[in-house]
Amino acid sequence: MTRERVIAFFAAATMLLLAACDGGNAKKRGSTLKFSGSGLGAEGRVVSRQIERFMRLNPDIRVELQQTPDDATQRHQLYVQWLNARAGNPDILQLDVVWTAEFAAAGWILPLGRFKPPVADFFPATVEANTWAGELYALPWFVDVGLLYRRTDLVPVEPSNLDELVKQARAAMSRPGGPRYGFVWQGARYEGLITTFVEYLGAFGGRILDERGEVVVNRPEAVRAVTFMRDELYGSRIAPLDVLTWHEEEARFAFQNGNAVFMRNWPYAVEPMSDSASSRVAGKYAVSPMPAAQGGRSTAALGGAQLAINRYSESPAAAYRLIAFITAPEQMIERAQAVGQYPTRSALYDDPRLRAARSIPWDQAKRAIESATPRPVTPIYNEMSEILQIELHRALVRQAEPQEALNSAAKRIDALIERTGMRRLAREAGK
Amino acid sequence: MLVTPALAVIALIAIFPLGWTVWESLHMHELRMPWLGKPFIGLDNYAEIAGDPRFWAALGHTAFFTVVSIALEFLLGLFLALAMNRVFRGRGFVRAAVLVPWAIPTVVAALLWRFMFESQGGIANALLVDVGILDQPIVWFIKTTTAWVPVILADVWKTTPFVALLLLAGLQNIDLTLYEAAAVDGANGWWQLRHITLPLLKPAILVTLIFRTLDGFRVFDLIYVLTGGGPGTSTEPVALYTFNALLQNLRFGYGSALSVVIFAITFGLALLYMKGLGVRLGGEQR
Repeated sequence: MTRERVIAFFAAATMLLLAACDGGNAKKRGSTLKFSGSGLGAEGRVVSRQIERFMRLNPDIRVELQQTPDDATQRHQLYVQWLNARAGNPDILQLDVVWTAEFAAAGWILPLGRFKPPVADFFPATVEANTWAGELYALPWFVDVGLLYRRTDLVPVEPSNLDELVKQARAAMSRPGGPRYGFVWQGARYEGLITTFVEYLGAFGGRILDERGEVVVNRPEAVRAVTFMRDELYGSRIAPLDVLTWHEEEARFAFQNGNAVFMRNWPYAVEPMSDSASSRVAGKYAVSPMPAAQGGRSTAALGGAQLAINRYSESPAAAYRLIAFITAPEQMIERAQAVGQYPTRSALYDDPRLRAARSIPWDQAKRAIESATPRPVTPIYNEMSEILQIELHRALVRQAEPQEALNSAAKRIDALIERTGMRRLAREAGK
Repeated sequence: MLVTPALAVIALIAIFPLGWTVWESLHMHELRMPWLGKPFIGLDNYAEIAGDPRFWAALGHTAFFTVVSIALEFLLGLFLALAMNRVFRGRGFVRAAVLVPWAIPTVVAALLWRFMFESQGGIANALLVDVGILDQPIVWFIKTTTAWVPVILADVWKTTPFVALLLLAGLQNIDLTLYEAAAVDGANGWWQLRHITLPLLKPAILVTLIFRTLDGFRVFDLIYVLTGGGPGTSTEPVALYTFNALLQNLRFGYGSALSVVIFAITFGLALLYMKGLGVRLGGEQR
């Protein structure tokens, strides 16, 4: 290096340092927030618009949108790495519905009680999903819910229980020119299988964990639920064996091409299937909550996104102001209008602006959300779900009998609870 | 003294990460559960592995996959190599052409095979029903036996060219006068193959088998894409199980212990091969 170059290098380094210090000063004058959330396409445009509006109303706060992967697993992994390193950025985290307990128990997000959030305005199930040890840790942003799609030209009335669904499906399949499949759902070995399962489980009155956090997934109700699912595949044969390798999209293709009488899926399927250019069932289907069986109640799996404050954030109060703004009724309606995502505030479903917005069956959606049940709210959900996915899949492909598979699941989940010190954690949290 | 820098580099890029992994494997370190801390737990992770039926099953799947696919690849590859070793017009073109499957990224190849086997209307079902082998289309990925078929086929399809090329290189080192002499003495082709070709091909065979066994034991992407380890976990190899523990569940301690175990197994296999075949890599025969 020549002398001139050395001098130039130090000059540049000094400039950088000065710039960095200046950034520090700016922080003292107001606060800069980093918001991480879905930032792609139409969704990203709505969020950017809302953030700009927020900055105009709050000139002392600067907000930047920080891109994170859209894929849930990848985003989760990134968050966990950042938070293990105690990074204060991003200040606001977008959490999947099954992550809140994990992040709360890990001490990575702040309890929101001190900000007095309007808890009563949100659907109870969405609040329950975001509550850990009696404290609310995230505000529900938009909600996803499991729905039963039905071909109205084949089955005019919605089934009042699961047995009736089987009968209706069989009747429609045996009609000349009737669809090949009676009922399609998500049965591949992945998280979607658990959402399907909790709906059957609730329909039969079963649960995965009880109030004390102990495993009850091998009780008779659960065995009946799995047996019913298996009977759809091998007994009444209304569900094709293919569903054991299917995710959401394969099920939608089957239904959209007119090959199925019923489908279990999320609300996203409504819009693509309403387009008569690409859908053979446009105008010929309706949605309703999943039916119950004897001894249980109609149950929908709950999905969706929540917003939480990073524990290491330097400006938690400003972060809460942004979260409160983004989850306010106006912004929720704007979001529903733009991208069709369902608000988490129940009162909005009667708002004329929402009802005029899109061809979404708001009433049925609301009914389904009211019957929604969160998947187990526990910090070890991810590993618990993996165990259940494997054992359920084993039962459904007939590698194991339902009782045997569920016993094995219960045993392994119990060992997991023990290994991770969940009982001690729950006791301490309860104090 | 002159080798010191080289040794230092090896230590830095090979020994250090390995040592770190071993150290990590002696701790309970769950990234998702900071409330557990990061206590030193000695060999507990290894004890958990030893008592985990899923691990032993995964080891069995890996061994099964490795043995079956390598046996097929070796036989087919040897046949191809012998064929390509003959002098014929367009030999260069054929040699390049057989490499095409090998050149396709594994993930892409796996996806291709999945599409062929996936739906009941897939090409594999259509073909087998037409020929009369199947009465009706089946769902390949929900039975253990049928789920292995696309996995093994895909691996054989993709890797046979590689095996063939390695063996071909070995074949070309064999002195042709040996065959001429044998022919003069009245030896037939089979005798020549057994007494000249195979013994002289031994170093090439060894290299091929070492490469393929180690690859087979680390199989991941192919199965990850094709079956995801399913149905249940009945096609799950150890690498996929480790990936799950390490990157899905973020169990760094346990996952590190699994990595160490896999490393020990593959290292042991490599040593066994070198001993069993009586050849020193890079050296002359004993």
